[in-house]
Amino acid sequence: MKKYTQTSGEIGDFSQLPIWQKYALVDLLYVAYGLLIVALVLVSYVLGMFNLLPHDPQQINIELLMASPLSDGYLLGTDFLGRDILSRLIMGIQAYFLPGLLAISISLIVGVVLGVLSGYRGGRIETVIVYFTNLIDSFPRLVLILLVIAAFKPDIYYIMIVMGITGIPTVTTAIANKIRFLAQKSFIEAAIALGLRTRVIIMKHILWYNCRALLIIQATLGMGEAILLETSLSYLGFGVQEPVSSWGNMVQSGANYFLQGNFWPSTAPALAILFTILGFNLLGDGLNNILEDRRGR
Amino acid sequence: MTAAITPPLLKIDNLRTYFYARSKHSFVRAVDGVSLEVGHSETVGVVGESGSGKSIAAMSVMGLISAGPGVIGGSIKFASHRVQKNLLEGLDKFVKVEEQHGRVMVVHKDDSGWQNASERIMGSLRGKEIAMIFQNPRASLNPYITVGEQLTEAIRLHTANKSPKESTERALYWLERVKIDSPRLRFDSYPSAMSGGMCQRAMIAMALSSEPSLLIADEPTTGLDATIQSKIVDLMEELKSETGISTLLISHDISVISRLADRVAVMYGGAVVEYGSAQLVLGEDASIKHPYTAALLASVPSEQKIRDKDNLQTIDGDVLDTINVPPGCRFFARCNQVTPEIKEKCATHHPDLREIAPGHQVRCWRFNG
Repeated sequence: MKKYTQTSGEIGDFSQLPIWQKYALVDLLYVAYGLLIVALVLVSYVLGMFNLLPHDPQQINIELLMASPLSDGYLLGTDFLGRDILSRLIMGIQAYFLPGLLAISISLIVGVVLGVLSGYRGGRIETVIVYFTNLIDSFPRLVLILLVIAAFKPDIYYIMIVMGITGIPTVTTAIANKIRFLAQKSFIEAAIALGLRTRVIIMKHILWYNCRALLIIQATLGMGEAILLETSLSYLGFGVQEPVSSWGNMVQSGANYFLQGNFWPSTAPALAILFTILGFNLLGDGLNNILEDRRGR
Repeated sequence: MTAAITPPLLKIDNLRTYFYARSKHSFVRAVDGVSLEVGHSETVGVVGESGSGKSIAAMSVMGLISAGPGVIGGSIKFASHRVQKNLLEGLDKFVKVEEQHGRVMVVHKDDSGWQNASERIMGSLRGKEIAMIFQNPRASLNPYITVGEQLTEAIRLHTANKSPKESTERALYWLERVKIDSPRLRFDSYPSAMSGGMCQRAMIAMALSSEPSLLIADEPTTGLDATIQSKIVDLMEELKSETGISTLLISHDISVISRLADRVAVMYGGAVVEYGSAQLVLGEDASIKHPYTAALLASVPSEQKIRDKDNLQTIDGDVLDTINVPPGCRFFARCNQVTPEIKEKCATHHPDLREIAPGHQVRCWRFNG
C-alpha cells in the first residue's frame, strides 16, 4: 500500500517524517531485532569480561545435576556436572566475540584495500590481486582450518585469522567491481572536475556513500558466519576446549543426554546460536534495505 | 580589445588529443590541432556535430582524459588574476611522437608520469579556477549524497567558508541565486528527487560557488526538456551578466550558442574551421563563411523556412572518420561550394586558418588565394 502525506501547504520534507513512516515496517523490525541481539551480546560480553555472573560457570555442583530451568536460582538450569547454564552461555560469548571481530576486520580491511587498489588502479596490480584472491578461493575453508589446527594448535584465534583471510576475496571482488562500475559514472568525473582529491572521492564518495551498505552486509554476515564456524568447530572438539565454555561444546556435551529426556542443556545453547546468527543476518538485511532505499526517494 | 595588452584567460594552442582504436590498430584524432582563445569576461561558444571533438577538447583542458594515449601535445595557457600557468607545462617529456610524412605513426606515452604531473598542475585549479558543468546533470550528481551536502563540500573545499554554519549559509545563498525554488527544502533532497533542470541548476551553483575564473559548460542543455533548456540558458545569461565570468560553452545547439556566445568557434573533424565574433560567424552573410558553417546554419529550422514550408536542409555524408584523415581539406567530401579552380587544392592540401577580416578566421581555400 502506498501512502502519501502532505504536512502543510508547502511540499512536505521527507526527512521530517517520523522514522516509522520513512521506512518499511519489516526492515525496521529486522533492524530492531538485530540491534537487540547485538546489544545483548555486547552486554553479556562485558558481563563475562568482569565475571559478573550469577554463578561461577566452571563450579561443579554434584547435588544439582541436570536441574531444570528456574530451579533454585539457576535461571536456565544446570548441565550434567551441575554447572549453571546461563553463566556458561554468557561466558560462551567470550569464545567468539573478539575472534569474530578479528576475522571480519581482517577480511574487511584487507579486502577493501585490495579492492580499491585493483578497482581504481587496475593494470598489473589488479592482475596480481586477482591471482591472490583466486589462490585463496581455491582452498576449501574447512581444509585450510584443519591444516592450521594440525600445524599449530586448536586455538580459536588462529582459526579466526584463517577465516578472516578466506573472507578477503568476497570483499575484494565486490568492492573492485563496485569501483569499476562507479568510476565510469559521470558523477565521479564531475567530482574530479570539482577539484576533489582522489582520496576524498574514494573514501567518501565511493566507499562511504556507495559501498557502506555492502560493507555492513559483509560485516554482519561475517559475524554470523564466525559464530557458526566457532560453534561447529567447538562442537567437533577442534575449537574451544572444556572446561572453558563455548556454545558449540555446550551443545556437544548436552547432546549425550538429549535422548534421556534431558534435552535442555543442549537446546539452550542451540537456541542461543540460532537467535544470535539470525539477529546478525537480519540486522545486515534491514540496514541494507534502509540505506539502499534512500537513493530511491 | 584587452586581449592585446594582457594575455587572454585561456589560450589553447595546437592541442592534440588522440585515442587508440585497438581493433583497427590506428589513432582516432579526436582533437587535432585546435587553437582557441577565451578572453576575460568573454563567452566563447564551440559548435559542431557530434564527433567533431568539441567535448574532448574541453575535457583535455580539464585534464580529464583517461583513455590512451589522450592528450599528446599542444599548450594550454591559463592566465587569471590569481594564477598564470601552462596547463601542459613540462608534460611533453612524457610523450614521444613518431611521425612520417606529417602523419602520426607511433605514440610513446608514459601515462602514469603524465597523469601525476598533470594532477600536480591541475590539482589546485580544478573546481577552484576552472569549473565545469556537464551534460546530463542528473548523472553528474552523486545519487547517494544530498544536494546540500555536495554543495557545501565544494564550498568548504574552495572558499574561506569552512565552518558548517557558514558553508551551509553560502550553499543556500547559491541555491537561491540559481533560482531553485524552496532552496531550504532542496538542500536536503537527494538528486533523484529533483528534476533534470533543478539538478543542472544545482550543478551550476556548485561550479560557480568557488567563484572560478573560467567555466567550461559541456553541452549544459543536452538531456533537458526544451522549455527547461531555455530556462537554463536564461539563467546562464543572467549569471554571465552579473558575475562577468568567462565561459567556454560547448554545444551542438546553435540557438544556445547564439544566445550566449560573444565569439564562436566551429569545429569539424577535430579542428577549428572557423573562428570569429558571433555576429560574423552566425550572421546572415554566407559568402564570408566556411562552407560547413553555412551548411550547419542552413540546417537549422527558422520561422521563415517553416512558414514557407521549405524542406529542411541537410549536410550530405557522415561526420569525418578521424582515423583516415584525408590529405586535403577535411570537409572536402561533403562540401557543396567546391569550384573547379580550387578543387585540386582542396583535395590535396589542408588549408590554414586564415584571417579574412579582423577577428574572423576561416579555414578554406576559397579565401586563401
